[in-house]
Amino acid sequence: MNKLAKRKKWARRSLRFLLLLALLADFLANDRPIVAVYEGDLRWPVFHQYAEMAGLAKPYADLPGRSWERAETSFAVWPLIPYSADSPDRGTGRYKPPGSRPEDGSFGETHWLGTDKGSRDVLAGLIRGLRVSLGIGIGSMLIAFLLGVLIGAPAGFFADDSLISKRSHWIGSLMGSVIGATYCLFSWWPFTAYWSFLPRVISSLVIIGFMGLAGRMILGLIPWSWLKQKSTIPLDFFALRLIELITSIPGLVLLIAFLGIIENPSVWWVMLLIGGLRWTGIARFLRAELLRIRQLPYIESARVLGFNDWYILRKHALPNAWGPVIVAMSFGIGIAILLEAYLSFLGIGLPLESVSWGSLLRQARAMPSAWWLAIFPGLMIFVTVLACNILGEQESGA
Amino acid sequence: MIRLILGRLIVFLPTLVVLSWLAFGLNQCSPEDPVSRLLPLEEVRLREDDPTAYERAYQQAAERMGQDLPLFYFGIGHKAAPPADLDAPLPQQKKWLEDMCLKTGRPDLVASYYQVLRRLANGNQNGISTVAKELLLTTEADRVAAKWAELEAAVKQENPETQTALAPVVAEISDLRSQMEAEPARGNILRPTFSWHGPDNQYHRWLTGILSGDLGVSYINRQPVGQKIGQALKWTALINFLAILLAYGVAVPLGLKLGSRAGSKFDSRVSFFLLLLFSIPAFWTATMISSFFTTPAYGMDWFPSMGVGRIPDGTGWLAILWIRIKHLFLPVLMLAYPSWAYLSRQMRASTLTELGKPYIQTARLKGPGEDQILRKHVLRNALFPIITMLAGLFPTLLAGSVLIEMIFNLPGMGQLLVTSTLEQDWPVVTAILIISGLATILGLLMADILYRWADPRLRGTGTQKASE
Repeated sequence: MNKLAKRKKWARRSLRFLLLLALLADFLANDRPIVAVYEGDLRWPVFHQYAEMAGLAKPYADLPGRSWERAETSFAVWPLIPYSADSPDRGTGRYKPPGSRPEDGSFGETHWLGTDKGSRDVLAGLIRGLRVSLGIGIGSMLIAFLLGVLIGAPAGFFADDSLISKRSHWIGSLMGSVIGATYCLFSWWPFTAYWSFLPRVISSLVIIGFMGLAGRMILGLIPWSWLKQKSTIPLDFFALRLIELITSIPGLVLLIAFLGIIENPSVWWVMLLIGGLRWTGIARFLRAELLRIRQLPYIESARVLGFNDWYILRKHALPNAWGPVIVAMSFGIGIAILLEAYLSFLGIGLPLESVSWGSLLRQARAMPSAWWLAIFPGLMIFVTVLACNILGEQESGA
Repeated sequence: MIRLILGRLIVFLPTLVVLSWLAFGLNQCSPEDPVSRLLPLEEVRLREDDPTAYERAYQQAAERMGQDLPLFYFGIGHKAAPPADLDAPLPQQKKWLEDMCLKTGRPDLVASYYQVLRRLANGNQNGISTVAKELLLTTEADRVAAKWAELEAAVKQENPETQTALAPVVAEISDLRSQMEAEPARGNILRPTFSWHGPDNQYHRWLTGILSGDLGVSYINRQPVGQKIGQALKWTALINFLAILLAYGVAVPLGLKLGSRAGSKFDSRVSFFLLLLFSIPAFWTATMISSFFTTPAYGMDWFPSMGVGRIPDGTGWLAILWIRIKHLFLPVLMLAYPSWAYLSRQMRASTLTELGKPYIQTARLKGPGEDQILRKHVLRNALFPIITMLAGLFPTLLAGSVLIEMIFNLPGMGQLLVTSTLEQDWPVVTAILIISGLATILGLLMADILYRWADPRLRGTGTQKASE
């Protein structure tokens, strides 16, 4: 047990370190200096790059060839690796082994881990890949967490028997919101084709909510005694059916097919799809945990004190369920990272020219003699996934 | 047992329906147009030379393939949708009509505008018809305005007789245009419509086709999809079967050993080693092994290179077997080893559970060796939960075999899936999606049945799920 705790400590440390590297990626490997004096004025090119991405600034126009490579600076602090992950270093060439330097003696430092097919620095690529991998891993698990909590927590806490309401209420809101969603999809969405994304989504949600309320009221007006009776809502039943449905969909095949079909797949799509397919584990975990917690005496006493059920769920039941969920999540991050590497390795998902661990490994397959392209990205995946797996190991350790 | 199977089928049926919607929906979302991809070459050539003939050929092909039918049993739309009876078979024409209708909200005006423009486009005044054709391709306001200026200029260049002949047409069309601009009714989009199409629709045809075994035709070489998948399935089934054998053959004895020595140094070391092994991405090891052990570059050319090996004519069966073994050894090993950690861990846990039970103590009192207890008593009981996991392993193995087949260039389902995706051969992709979904569902069903079979106490109880 002690050993496991020790391993977990190390895993946490290395993950924290990797996360830091990913956050500082642009300051560690970049083809522009962090700070430089050029033509007499002090510039912060890396920060400027962020401003460019945010659309707040225009690229420097006075650089020779628009790059810092040949700019004559009187003072410059360069990143540790003066190469960016996606710009080629033509002076060195393609598939050069670790330790190579530009042949023509021009500007340039050693490529510690060699170059790839597009003459790009592999070490810079690894750091970029770290950012992509951790981003997709954490992002997709956050999506999965959101879905898992929304579906698993009420299912476990209320089970099939304790959420009671008038039939007209829940049947009405269900029908109303389904009709509202259909209407949004087929009428509101084309009508607002020229709006920007956020107002579109928000207005759609408002319509769905409004239709749900309307459905509830309309069904309430029907003088049919069956509808007026109170009944339990089988939340757990519905949630389990949904989980069953998602687990019987072949996730990987769907991922490949979907990412192949959509026209411009991006990191966001990969994140969304992995999260949308992998929430069932978290939901199951939470459900099982809350099924146990709901029978504990302190929940009963909170009920007796007259607190609202949802309040008890939020404030008293859920906080006690986080532990195992976070364990399951760190395991999930590892799996998501593997999935992303797997997809980029196949050349599906992220744009072909983008740099990630999987895409570097793919190049290794095309060029078996470039061993540095096979070993280093694989090691990175191994270390990251191992750290996640150790963190995700159950304490009971069966 | 029959009740159990029926009960599970009732649960799985909706899953199958949703799966079919997913597959069909994905097929529809693809940017590719099935009609033009399957049109015979001589008809595709017409596109430039004789657009009207091309349109006719396209229309006929669409009718033949059922692509002109409505998509689903019913349709939900809005009042601004373009009228269905308009003569617009090509996808770009449909797109144009839809865009125009969404912009103006006046399907009636758009329809007459479209018809007049088409008459102009098919007319014999060269300049005018070119501009009209271009107008039929764009809906952007600026470009439309520019094209209108060109159209007016082109009309002025004609001789006076044609000009007078064209005058009413031009008047009509500009009237329609100004009307569309003056009285847009985008509110029409907010008025929903509902239409019932009945069973003569694309989904119904596609589904009945699949149910009767017709999976469609590949876009790439017009081979029936079923045939393509049949060839590939053989290899995937073979390597997966071998991989399962290898995975269980190693994991079960190992797990038993670990369980019987739980807490020892051997146990903790091997367990950690297995976790390490589990964390090594299989595609990384497979890539490295396939490049180190099959190419002469590293001096370790021990295995034949990729593929399943070519069998020369007249080879004896023993030689064939040898060639296959040489080629399949590495892929099967790579496919099996990630399961070792998982399976032996489970086996260890269930061995521990069994060892703690009273019947083992009884057996010990009789005085046989520890080995005999493990083999005779524990193994059989500890094996049951592991066997039921076989079914759950199914999707994992399929996922693994996608990569292994790509890396070792084996002509199986996984390779077919990836190459078809990259070649945008959607009928094959959707067929694989459906087949693997079916396999997953059957696997879950099998898990339930095995579970029930392994534990007789559960027989006869309703539909308790092993998968939960």
